[in-house]
Amino acid sequence: MSTLPDTATGVSRRLPGDLAMWFFILVELSAFAILILAFAVTQLLYPELFAQSRAALDSSTGLALTLSLLTSGLFAALAVEQVRIDQSRRAAWLLLAALLTSCIYVVLKLDEYGHLSSLGLGMEHNTFFTLYWILTGFHFLHVLLGMVILGWMAELCRRRAYNAQSHAGMESGVLYWHMVDMVWVLLFPLVYVLN
Amino acid sequence: MSASKVLIGCWLGLAVLSVATVLLGSSGSTLALAASVLAVALIKAWLISDGFMELRHAPIQWRLLLATWPVAMAAGILLAMLL
Repeated sequence: MSTLPDTATGVSRRLPGDLAMWFFILVELSAFAILILAFAVTQLLYPELFAQSRAALDSSTGLALTLSLLTSGLFAALAVEQVRIDQSRRAAWLLLAALLTSCIYVVLKLDEYGHLSSLGLGMEHNTFFTLYWILTGFHFLHVLLGMVILGWMAELCRRRAYNAQSHAGMESGVLYWHMVDMVWVLLFPLVYVLN
Repeated sequence: MSASKVLIGCWLGLAVLSVATVLLGSSGSTLALAASVLAVALIKAWLISDGFMELRHAPIQWRLLLATWPVAMAAGILLAMLL
């Protein structure tokens, strides 16, 4: 946890979580940036192919995926607020709610992957689907890791390992989850919506 | 306003903007609509970074650093569409 004074205003400004997590987030965002820009540039080269291939995706499924991730993010953020007022048990329930909401994302995404596979739209079908599988698959792996972190933090909250004085580890875990949300916010329009 | 109310307000904004993204995307495929979709994505990214990640209370350098990522992504995507 770091607290830095803002000398200009005299207000104490604080960066939540551990500094190491913020550097990790920057590294992760850089990796996603390469994939997102690769997708955008390739779309420039094959606009027709991308428009036709994108038609196989359902934007309402994309919307449901977005809402499940954002709702999970809300529950995780509310859990941090509860720990700050020493309500660890309540935080554990909220983290469990975040985990369950993220399960909706996993079920929907696996259903979409299964549907595309059954249509023969696998990674080797064309350039769009190669990038679609790499980009969304990489993000999906991050979601799975985030779910493990949410589950572990829920258990730690149940054991009252976090309290109002010591919860930087929990803030860091929740920050990772919000990073996954932030990536999806850009990935969703690029993959499902923009033509 | 309590921190929890701010978070719920951010979530409501994010949900409404997500629906707006799909509606804008299904309205056509002009460059103006694409720019609007990306502008909505930028507002959503700001709600996540300043609201959920609490960067509104963080040192300004970190706030700017995290704000740069969605802006760079949206600019890159838009530039690729313009070329």
